[in-house]
Amino acid sequence: MTRSDLSCERRDGARRLCVVLAIVTACSASCREPAAVTRLTLSASALGGEAQLLRRQLARFAERQPGVDVELRVTPDAADQRHQLYVQWLNARAADPDVLQLDIIWTAEFAGAGWIRPLDRSGIDEDDFLPAALAASQWRGVFYAVPWFVDLGLLYWRSDLLPAAPRTLAELHDAALRLQRSGATRFGLVWQGARYEGLVTVFLEHLGAFGGGLLDGHGRVIVDEPAAVRALTFMSDAVRRDGIVPASVLSWQEEQARFAFQNGDAAFMRNWPYAWVLMQDATQSRVAGRFAVAPFPAASEGRPTAALGGAELAVNAWSEHPDLASALIRFLTEPEQMLERARAAAQLPSRRSLYETGALATALPIPIDQIRRLLDAAVPRPVTPVYSELSEILQVRLHRALSGQQAPAAALSDGAREIRALLARTGLAADSAPP
Amino acid sequence: MNRDMTIEREERRLARWFVAPALAFIVLGSLVPIAATGWEALYGHDLRLPWLGRPFVGLSNFVEAAADPRFRSALLHTAIFALITVPLELALGLALALMMHTAIRGRPLFRLAVLLPWAIPTVIGALIWRFMFDARAGVITAALQSVGAASESFDWFAHPLAAWVPIGAADIWKTTPFVAILLLAGLQTIDPALHEAARMDGAGSVRRFATITLPLLRPALVVAAAFRMLDALRLFDVAYVTTAGGPGTSTETLSLYAFVALMQRLRFGYGSALSVAIFLLTFAFALVWVRALGRSLIGDRT
Repeated sequence: MTRSDLSCERRDGARRLCVVLAIVTACSASCREPAAVTRLTLSASALGGEAQLLRRQLARFAERQPGVDVELRVTPDAADQRHQLYVQWLNARAADPDVLQLDIIWTAEFAGAGWIRPLDRSGIDEDDFLPAALAASQWRGVFYAVPWFVDLGLLYWRSDLLPAAPRTLAELHDAALRLQRSGATRFGLVWQGARYEGLVTVFLEHLGAFGGGLLDGHGRVIVDEPAAVRALTFMSDAVRRDGIVPASVLSWQEEQARFAFQNGDAAFMRNWPYAWVLMQDATQSRVAGRFAVAPFPAASEGRPTAALGGAELAVNAWSEHPDLASALIRFLTEPEQMLERARAAAQLPSRRSLYETGALATALPIPIDQIRRLLDAAVPRPVTPVYSELSEILQVRLHRALSGQQAPAAALSDGAREIRALLARTGLAADSAPP
Repeated sequence: MNRDMTIEREERRLARWFVAPALAFIVLGSLVPIAATGWEALYGHDLRLPWLGRPFVGLSNFVEAAADPRFRSALLHTAIFALITVPLELALGLALALMMHTAIRGRPLFRLAVLLPWAIPTVIGALIWRFMFDARAGVITAALQSVGAASESFDWFAHPLAAWVPIGAADIWKTTPFVAILLLAGLQTIDPALHEAARMDGAGSVRRFATITLPLLRPALVVAAAFRMLDALRLFDVAYVTTAGGPGTSTETLSLYAFVALMQRLRFGYGSALSVAIFLLTFAFALVWVRALGRSLIGDRT
């Protein structure tokens, strides 16, 4: 084959490609425009009933907004995987999906990175949403997301073994020890101790119980202060000295703790509300009808604390339909939609007013008076763009202390040093200028 | 003569064309990504913090790694793990290879049984080992508890040293068959006449093993050890599935830490530097290994 043959063929190929492209673009232009439908996309978790619920709600939104079609992008249910996917999309400035379901701890990160749009404050019912959830929706005083549903860490206790929920941490400790020693249960207390985000939420509740915190109001690191050391010492003693918490929790997440509690192996469990419905199912649970929930109790120097989890909705910074996207968020966070979600997926609304309604009381499986007490105990995790790295540092240090590799005080002072270095490196230290 | 040269030149040109796809594959599939990672390692690039930009930082990512206690301990963990598991895998693999080589009855079935762990996906195998070591449902823990060798509250995964046992067990179980197959191939190249002659001369089986089998098996052993060392130095999947590096970071390997830096912290610059460091370490090992043992190996053959 000669040179000219080759180039000829190449030219021919290019021509063919042009024709194909022309057909494709012509088609996409002609196929889209006549219908004049604006396509909005929403990425959200769609586990079981959640998908149907969401499709119903999106259909209602489309009725209200003629000419708009909302497509649901199903993303991985594992938070880490969804996070990775989002980072890839947004880093590549993808305009799709327009609306993102964010884990409550990601909002500051995405806002700081410029990946989500600031929201109009007037469109957010600030008086109604839970203060802790509102705090997690802002970055540097600007709203970037709207709380969708919340999750609250709580204490499950065996109502057949105890007359009332422990009111103080000391009562919890003593009851756990007594029930375990008497052989009523195998373990006193179980929680999530694997090296992952759940461990930080458990620690946060112990911290609050002793009056400590991770960062103070000015963003300074206070996780090496005496209150925090007392909190971690309490946790580590429970595992290593008294044995009321089994050492196995160091590899447990929510489900392993639930299995232990529903098999009747534990007198107390720290977990999230989702476990309630599953454990009331007598076909798989031995404790159906024999447990109740309460806020995780506090020592005298602290207050009962419930780590706040949950999801928020935000608008992709590169969305081509930001106004419609905001409208969709407003719609999905209306009281009516939240009630429906509570009924279908047992997810807690982020609006306080709903907790005063009889409608929510009948919608939620958990008795509403037990839930209401948790709302005031809700505490968000630190709102910072580097939260996940901060959390990862803590996870390692907490895990070291709980497995006896480091004393609590040393683990926390190392952790605090690393977190301070992280904040300094990223320009987020309390005394540095905003990015 | 002139014609011969032309033919030779043409053949050489043809050869180049034949080699080109393989070469392109190596360049695009290995060299370019390695170079890109090396390039990325020279930048301060944190995907979560776009406002910091992507400044050129030279070697400071590597300097940070050298001073990073977590990186150092991961390096130590990886080296110790490799030095303990690889000899065990070689010894067990050799034993299995000898058995496979000498077994007469049920040979195919025996080989199948030996190879089975190698055929099972690593993640599934590791998960099974994880379950076996589970403190409440695991058969191994239950067996130890029933003979009083482990206390009721003992948990493999909560102990910084004991947590290595499930990782090592899963890795050895999984890769020993691979070693055995390599060594079996080596055994089959040994001329039976040598053994026959030695037996005639009155050499016992131990003597024959030490003076005939082992020396002649050396090339296969060197290759198997090299493969296993390189794999062990990059250990990721088994550790990720069984302990994920815990408790704390006491079972964290180099690859696990690089994964944390890259995919969890999204520090692409630093994570790339860690990846490059792992690459250089394994590469250096391979180079030394081939220099020290490979040359004599070739020398033996000629």
